[in-house]
Amino acid sequence: MKIQILGTGCPKCKTLEQHTREAVAEIGIEAEIDKVTDIDAIMEMGVMMTPALAIDGEVKSVGKVLTKDQVISYLKGGK
Amino acid sequence: MAGCDCGSEKTVLITACSGAANTGLLADQVARSLRADKTGSMTCLAALGAELSGYVESARGADRNIVIDGCPVGCGAKIYAKLGIPCEQHIMTDFGVEKGKTAITPDLTAEVAAAVKAKIAEAGK
Repeated sequence: MKIQILGTGCPKCKTLEQHTREAVAEIGIEAEIDKVTDIDAIMEMGVMMTPALAIDGEVKSVGKVLTKDQVISYLKGGK
Repeated sequence: MAGCDCGSEKTVLITACSGAANTGLLADQVARSLRADKTGSMTCLAALGAELSGYVESARGADRNIVIDGCPVGCGAKIYAKLGIPCEQHIMTDFGVEKGKTAITPDLTAEVAAAVKAKIAEAGK
């Protein structure tokens, strides 16, 4: 599984990254976590607000600092 | 890009139908004018129609979605309705423009853009 955290490096982006790492650790999946900080790369994915979370290339959330549990829900295929 | 969500600034996204008729041309130019004067950030209606996830989730997360439709067919607003995302629709033929007839000039674009901008501001109060 490939997880992307999209954001230019603001505190909210860092918090989302932390929650995502905690979520991955908690459910024990193997995942590659990439931080996408390049504004052009972020916009190419159609993301207009950050932070955003994408899983396997699909953007799941935009402009929100998801909680660890919300990230877990997305990782398990939920919403 | 509308920007980082760290601030308290409201996110306003603007799309235009950009259809084949003169009204689609005007819708596109009005949307670009609204982007230029920072009424909001312009994003792609075609990408929403194609249900590309980044665009859809951005629209879902925006505080306001403004759609500029050329004519009452309202393709833009219908895309938002299909996605279940609320939007504020402005239709170019409501501004005295006749589909297939009215010439789209810079003066007309500026006039309609100003009128749409005023409506957006009024709705945002």
